Amino acid sequence: MVGLAATFGSGAMTNSINDFDGADLFLVIGSNTTSQHPLIGSRIINAVKRGAKLLLIDPREIQLAEFADLHLRHDIGTDVAVLNGIMNVIIEEGLDDKEFVETRTEGFDQLKALVSKYPPRVVEKISGINSRDLKNAARMYAKADKAMLVYAMGITQHTTGVDNVKTCANLAMLTGHLGRPSTGVNPLRGQNNVQGACDMGALPNVYSGYQPVTDLTVKKKFEDAWGVAALNDKVGLTIIDMMIAAQKGELKALYVMGENPLMSDPDTSHIEHALSNLDFLVVQDIFLSETAAKADVVLPAASFAEKEGTYTNTERRVQISGKAISSPGLARPDWQIICELSTLAGYPMNYKSPVDIMKEINAVTPSYAGITYERLERGYGLQWPCINEDHPGTPYLHKDKFSKGKGTFIPCEFKPVVEMPDEEYDFMLTTGRIYYHFHTGTMTRRTSILEREAPAALVEINPEDAKKLGIKNNETVELTSRRGTIKLKAEITKRVPQNVVFSTFHFHESPVNMLTSPAYDPIAKIPEYKGCAVKVRRCA
Amino acid sequence: MKTLAKKDLIKAMNIWAQKHDVLSPTKTAPGDCIFDTFREKTFTLDYKKPPLSPKAVFFPHSEVTFKVEKNKYKEIVAAKKMLIFGLRACDMMGILQASSFMSRDRKDVYYNAKRNAATTIVMACPGPQNETCFCTTTRSGPVAQKGFDLQFYDVGDAFLIEIGTPRGEELLSAIPLADVDDSQARRQIEEFKQKAIRSIPEVKSFIKAMNKLKDGKADEKIWDSFGQKCITCGGCAFVCPTCTCFNVYDHQSSPGNGLRARTWDACLYGGFTREASGHNPRASQALRLKRRHEHKLLHFNEIDIQGSLCGCVGCGRCSDYCPVHIGTLEVVKAIAE
Repeated sequence: MVGLAATFGSGAMTNSINDFDGADLFLVIGSNTTSQHPLIGSRIINAVKRGAKLLLIDPREIQLAEFADLHLRHDIGTDVAVLNGIMNVIIEEGLDDKEFVETRTEGFDQLKALVSKYPPRVVEKISGINSRDLKNAARMYAKADKAMLVYAMGITQHTTGVDNVKTCANLAMLTGHLGRPSTGVNPLRGQNNVQGACDMGALPNVYSGYQPVTDLTVKKKFEDAWGVAALNDKVGLTIIDMMIAAQKGELKALYVMGENPLMSDPDTSHIEHALSNLDFLVVQDIFLSETAAKADVVLPAASFAEKEGTYTNTERRVQISGKAISSPGLARPDWQIICELSTLAGYPMNYKSPVDIMKEINAVTPSYAGITYERLERGYGLQWPCINEDHPGTPYLHKDKFSKGKGTFIPCEFKPVVEMPDEEYDFMLTTGRIYYHFHTGTMTRRTSILEREAPAALVEINPEDAKKLGIKNNETVELTSRRGTIKLKAEITKRVPQNVVFSTFHFHESPVNMLTSPAYDPIAKIPEYKGCAVKVRRCA
Repeated sequence: MKTLAKKDLIKAMNIWAQKHDVLSPTKTAPGDCIFDTFREKTFTLDYKKPPLSPKAVFFPHSEVTFKVEKNKYKEIVAAKKMLIFGLRACDMMGILQASSFMSRDRKDVYYNAKRNAATTIVMACPGPQNETCFCTTTRSGPVAQKGFDLQFYDVGDAFLIEIGTPRGEELLSAIPLADVDDSQARRQIEEFKQKAIRSIPEVKSFIKAMNKLKDGKADEKIWDSFGQKCITCGGCAFVCPTCTCFNVYDHQSSPGNGLRARTWDACLYGGFTREASGHNPRASQALRLKRRHEHKLLHFNEIDIQGSLCGCVGCGRCSDYCPVHIGTLEVVKAIAE
């Protein structure tokens, strides 16, 4: 998000889900789309069946690989090098969109100078992608009429997450695959409302609609709207920073809502220590998660089916969700809990319903100004920016100019994964999710059929590696990193390349984040879940 | 024969609603049509083919079958006196097939309690409700042959009413009706039916595919190609009127307290056939798809199909909703080619 905001001025999927039906080519990088966004994945499959091209860049042989015209299996964490290499070929062969670059962008010379250092033979050494494939990929993407670049956590969950995103944006700008239907840079959001949470300012540095807390005009606006005297104009802490501060004893209390950091944050031992070091921990959730079990106070929240409100999905579409059933026990919608807490703390919040809250969102958030409850009730939602009640919403961004005016090329050098395999920890562990479970499993592992489909954590190991280590399919193995050890069953599969193992963070019995690296991106503060060094052993 | 004037339909529905929970075609706010509790304001006759068959009335998506409270067992067989108005013939055949399966050799008490408490009124189809309708091929429509308590034929200002059972006849006692000459009514129904049948062309590839499967001449490779695309959502089984597989699970809320429930299941899931050892006789998505379609088209039970052609009732919903186009129509086309 930070990366796209820097290059385009707006951090969200540029285009829409319907656009997938009209594209001529998809460049999918770091997204296991059929597994994590199956409906978008099926649109890609259907498009390929009608003749669209698929260029896949992913170390693992995911389901989309079967449909790919070209699959580049680069080494983990070498995305910047591969994309720079592709741009090198594009410029070298004159395939860049000169008019777009000239009229819509700035900083081309710097980009050109930087990517000139990434000719195919250099990229081959860094990433393992051979020159011929790299050149083909460059030609395919540059020559397509309407190409959509699609990415997900495989791009962002790196210490170079922001660089990866900026480099994706550079490539799309270089080839003019932006500002038209069925093009663009399309980060697929990993949760149903993560876009909405960011839009509403659930970030340490902005109010709703990405209005900076440091901007004094913005500060004044919110002070007036909320009738308070002095809002804090300092940027707050990210989750990573909070955990570090807690461990140091600088952060005393933490209020966690619908998040399970004890399972989802990297380096579990560190998180455990940080949480135990708090004076006071409050967790608001629909189930007693691992984190909630450690809390001083647990506030029971209503599930999605027990409350009403809106969600903002990956294509920036705000949609209404209605209440279907009543909440069990004392559970209440999050907004009611927050209102009551605030009132008790001395600032009365008197919203009567989500409709009232939406009115305030409309009033203080320019990009949401026209997304009123009344309009949402009449249709299938509205896509921001939607600046007034007559505005139809925005299916694709950056039509004639970028949100920030000209798009800026921000060239980035390749930097490897922080903790590379070595003699002792000789495998690269990469992590993600599987089709049947969501995140830390607090919901999906309580669902009988999903639990039956995937009852336990597996670690994917390449057959060659398994042979060397004497590991049989379905045998329990031990994974060890510098931070911990877990036991889980091996799935021998060519889906992973040699020297790489893959596992998931859904299972508390084998919590993979015991192993993951606490290294994070310096700007976005996103952890490097996609790569750390481990060793693999048979369990005696 | 009896007729009901269209203008009196709402009156009739309100009368029935006094003694039944009436489910009828309902327009939702965004414009979809579903079967839902009858309300005058949202009731509609312009409902085409509802996205979901009414199978959930008898076979809810999830259902508690017993509870244990303080170590005491308590069976739960829930049923309400229902009336379903406006069923399509294909869905009526779906109910017949599912009912047969659910009572043929072992009575499923949970299903049958609800089935026995439900009255059905079929609305004969005047023609295809969308481009995937193929009930004339599967011999399950456009007009229901049996199973209904009443069947309505829309003949303009009024409905001609065909009585299927004494229970149906009883429904008519309390509502305003008129008489028409029997032979004239029969003629009108026959005309209605012929016109409807003519407007729903036979899907030749369906018959051809069934024959090829029977003769063992279907190309095995098609399953690989479908298996590669399938995203294992199970949606085809959930929208299918004749799919009735379920999974059973127990939930303990505290020592001595808990419940057993069942939920819809689908043979497309790996865990459906995976054995305790880890071995799976249907090890791939290709094999699971093959099994599902062969069950409908080849290995169906003669009693269960209730006089129709096979285990598919031609509603076309799997083709309507499969996000990757692996509905029955696409599958038979691939087999036939």
